[in-house]
Amino acid sequence: MHEGTRNGMTPKERLLRVLRKEKVDRPPVICTGGMMNAAVVDVMKATGHTLPEAHFDGDLMAALSRDVHEHTGFENFGVPFCMTVEAEVLGSSIDFGSLSCEPKIKREVFPSVSRASLRDEGKHNGAGRTGAIFRAAVRLSEKFPDIPVIGNLTGPVSVSASIVDPMTFLKELRKDGDNAHRVMGFVSEFLIEFARGMIGNGAAAVSIGDPTATGEILGPGLFEEYAVRYLNRVIEGIRAAGAPVIVHICGDLKAVRHLLPRIKSDAISTDALVNLRLLKQEFPALTTMGNVSTYLLEFGPAEKVAAVAKKLVRDGVDIISPACGLSTSTSLAIIRAMTAAVKGGGADG
Amino acid sequence: MVLAKDRLFRLLSDAVVEMDEKRALEITDIIVREGIDVYEAIEKGLSDGMARAGRLFEEEEYFIPELLMCSDAMYAGLDALKPHLSPGTAGEKQKVVIGVIEGDTHDIGKNLVKIMLETSGFEVFDLGRDIPPRLFVEKAAEVGADIIGISTLMTTTMEGMGEVVRLLSAGNIRDRFKVMVGGGPVSQGFADRIGADGYAVNAVEAVRLARRLTEGTAPAGGRLSDRVRHA
Repeated sequence: MHEGTRNGMTPKERLLRVLRKEKVDRPPVICTGGMMNAAVVDVMKATGHTLPEAHFDGDLMAALSRDVHEHTGFENFGVPFCMTVEAEVLGSSIDFGSLSCEPKIKREVFPSVSRASLRDEGKHNGAGRTGAIFRAAVRLSEKFPDIPVIGNLTGPVSVSASIVDPMTFLKELRKDGDNAHRVMGFVSEFLIEFARGMIGNGAAAVSIGDPTATGEILGPGLFEEYAVRYLNRVIEGIRAAGAPVIVHICGDLKAVRHLLPRIKSDAISTDALVNLRLLKQEFPALTTMGNVSTYLLEFGPAEKVAAVAKKLVRDGVDIISPACGLSTSTSLAIIRAMTAAVKGGGADG
Repeated sequence: MVLAKDRLFRLLSDAVVEMDEKRALEITDIIVREGIDVYEAIEKGLSDGMARAGRLFEEEEYFIPELLMCSDAMYAGLDALKPHLSPGTAGEKQKVVIGVIEGDTHDIGKNLVKIMLETSGFEVFDLGRDIPPRLFVEKAAEVGADIIGISTLMTTTMEGMGEVVRLLSAGNIRDRFKVMVGGGPVSQGFADRIGADGYAVNAVEAVRLARRLTEGTAPAGGRLSDRVRHA
């Protein structure tokens, strides 16, 4: 497998340079993990390092993350493989899923923001599966110093809507702003603490996916009041710990496009619906990431996936990545077509 | 009296649009006290208010939190008026079995579709979230549903929607139900591929789709006031 170390540039250096807006030989091609989990069934069947077991065991998590990197060609490690770590620590009950089905919230711990009793500020690291994630990050970063470990966070709006009944939560963003802000503030501090733990254990960058925080769901007003504000609080906390931050925004962006420059992350990743070339034209200062359709990745054909990836490179997208979480039935051949297209000099293709 | 009545209906509709549950209850109180036709109040007040809220949602004036708050005001008014409906007004309605497919617990979209369908006069049987394909089929057969509505927000669970269609075909009952699908990763192309009858991009569009799919089949659509079930 090529690691593209031309000019001595390792995958880790390449990613970190892009996130610092420095020049690189070509865009990195990554899949962050977390919401953008790339642990597809094909990989797990080939290696026997399987989910759901790897959600709990740091060594197994590291092994599976390495498998994903080696089999897919994505130039990173990504941990964890789901979006439920944070909500579990804060008390929600989790269904851990299966080999092919990712974990999800079984029941939110609080019925409403006013009844959310939040405690143990600053004492969450080590709870739930955080220890397993830290162990995986240490193992991977020590053994493979040239490959970036990306630590994944579920964003503050989504975590809040995973610990408070989401229907009630969405209404309370309007009806009970005081308590909604109290919950979001607490969740944000917890996320910073968790991210610092990952960074301290070797994560080179942090990626935040906040699928409840979309323009379609919240509208521009609540997106600005809650999503922008608390994403930025988390981003600042992570940067203070010395790591760059990628934020993925779901949805078509229409209602909140004007707010994107206000999000202070080092890169913005978007859904397949968004034309990244036009987004770059509109906001030249943005470092963009994306956005190969996961539908295309699942159904192919491989040649079309390769063509789309090359077009993204030509369009000047800074980091090439799937546009959303991969379906676990996505075939390795198609994923490899995507990563190979980027590594093989996409600019002339 | 006619004018006063219509004004009250408009105020009730406004209370729904303005997400004002308390105001909705004040007006339904007056309607009950004055002996005004409750059936008409539901149609021209509550249902009308939700239809207006749905339009604001489509125009991107309202988003999901606002639509949910409108529906709270609508349901509060409905619960207050329901005991005063004269018996016999409940008619036969189109039935929809709805749920989030197995593997997914995101149900905000499904809940919105349920609200908008109920508001538009469909009888909705809500299976909830994380529902195995088999249960959609069993429930639809049991209640004699006209439509099966399946939602997911996760790419990983989309195949379960196709499984529902396959189970219907395997049981030789595919023709008895219209299948509609929706949710973040779902598209018209996907709906076509799995052999569903339709795809809707949001809850308001889902109502239009449900009407289109059941057009010409008896019974000819119900009304919110016929609604007897409120899960």
